[in-house]
Amino acid sequence: MKKCFGILTIVLMMMFPIYAFGGIPFDTVKTNVNNVLEILSDPKLKGDAGKKVKEQKVEAVAEKMFDYIELSKRTLGLNWNKFNQEQRKEFVGLFKKTLKDAYVDKIMSYTNERVNFTKEVSLSDTTFEVQSIVVTKSGEIPIFYRVIKKENDWKVYDVIIEGVSLINNYRTQFREILGNNPPETLLETLRKKTGKRQ
Amino acid sequence: MMFLQKIKKITGLTASIFLISCLLFKCPFMLYAAPDDIDKTDSVISEKQPESAKRSDEAASEKTLDNFEGVKAEEMSTVLASAEEKRSDAYEDVTSDEIEFEEGPRIADPIESLNRGVYHFNDKVYFWVWKPLSQGYKHVVPEGIRGIFSSFYENIKAPIRIINNLLQGKPKFAAIELAKFFINSTLGVGGLRDCAKECFGIEGRYADFGQTLGKYGAGFGFYIVLPFIGPSSPRDGIGWLVDWTLRPTTYVSADQWFSPQSVGLYMHEKVNDTSFHIGEYEILKEAAIDPYIAMRDAYVQYRTKLVER
Repeated sequence: MKKCFGILTIVLMMMFPIYAFGGIPFDTVKTNVNNVLEILSDPKLKGDAGKKVKEQKVEAVAEKMFDYIELSKRTLGLNWNKFNQEQRKEFVGLFKKTLKDAYVDKIMSYTNERVNFTKEVSLSDTTFEVQSIVVTKSGEIPIFYRVIKKENDWKVYDVIIEGVSLINNYRTQFREILGNNPPETLLETLRKKTGKRQ
Repeated sequence: MMFLQKIKKITGLTASIFLISCLLFKCPFMLYAAPDDIDKTDSVISEKQPESAKRSDEAASEKTLDNFEGVKAEEMSTVLASAEEKRSDAYEDVTSDEIEFEEGPRIADPIESLNRGVYHFNDKVYFWVWKPLSQGYKHVVPEGIRGIFSSFYENIKAPIRIINNLLQGKPKFAAIELAKFFINSTLGVGGLRDCAKECFGIEGRYADFGQTLGKYGAGFGFYIVLPFIGPSSPRDGIGWLVDWTLRPTTYVSADQWFSPQSVGLYMHEKVNDTSFHIGEYEILKEAAIDPYIAMRDAYVQYRTKLVER
């Protein structure tokens, strides 16, 4: 009996590090998205109190799934270097809040849409695109997640919905503001935007 | 006991196969890695193992997720903040190759102030007319019926997809779209359901004339927001007009290009479609710093992707 467990443990131990690195971007994204779907369809979480808990749980998954610093850097592009350390930290926080405010309601209104993960495409040594299709009542929406290898994990740094990249969309908007204004102006705009929804 | 012994046998067997194959071929599990990963596997393993040993803060961030069960919001935010604190080195300067500059497509916007005006007009039209209309419609017409209308309109627009697939040098897809049209018009009872896809799994290919022009190398020209219709460009506007002539509904009245009947049908198609998408424009607007620019960029990215595809 003991021997049996011993062997099993060895097998598991050998599998684990391999699995962890293989991380296979595909599996990482899929697991995270499925976690969210599970939380959302949890029958135990009902009513306003349940909704609050759901929101917090979804946020926790999002925290693990996304790399907001990477996302911010890529959104600002070289403009990132115009921000000082403090401003960078503030920007990441504000940008995260902007995204959260906008998308959390949409995610909470999920109604049993099916998500099919189709494939992963290598973009570079450290980046992959994991492709999925959300099947809704009126059609199919391709949603691609771009992930980057960070330490032992794969983190999402861009989401592409029907060919529209989230970071490219924000980059265009931020560039417009940063074109003739200092970083402080952008931060102030974001402060106002995120502050008004509390 | 019999059961346990069986398990023992099986695990023993698996373990030995595993060990032997690991010795011989390094590791059978590599096969599960993505094809692109296979040749990199060696270096990844060797640099991974020492790293995982010294990374204790990895475990800390892992904890954040395991512990969220029943945590209060404030507690969570402090945990998250401390996790972020640890990575302060991530706030260093960036270089252009580090972030692999993928510049998105751009569009000229010489009539921006006029466009912004029309954008605000359309915004009001959406909130005052389009949205309440679609909401009322959604309330009255059951989802099943609205789905049938969607399939019907998709099916009769087949000529647009067939001709444009042909023009884009994709005769195979033109044939598939033609086959889809026949299947859906017959088995799908006049296109009331997408039987080609549901029964046979046939996937068509979207195509329009603006996209065709793009394939032949025509650029957008510049950005123009059309009243009621929304984001467009001279190229896609012409495309839209050409596609209008390919819609069978255009010919319900023989003597006019824009007859009340065809325009009415088009409006119904749009309301029916919007009834499935109420709230999406609101999210785009809510998420945007400058909704006008966000919309313009989404249009350019979306259309560029369609042409590249």
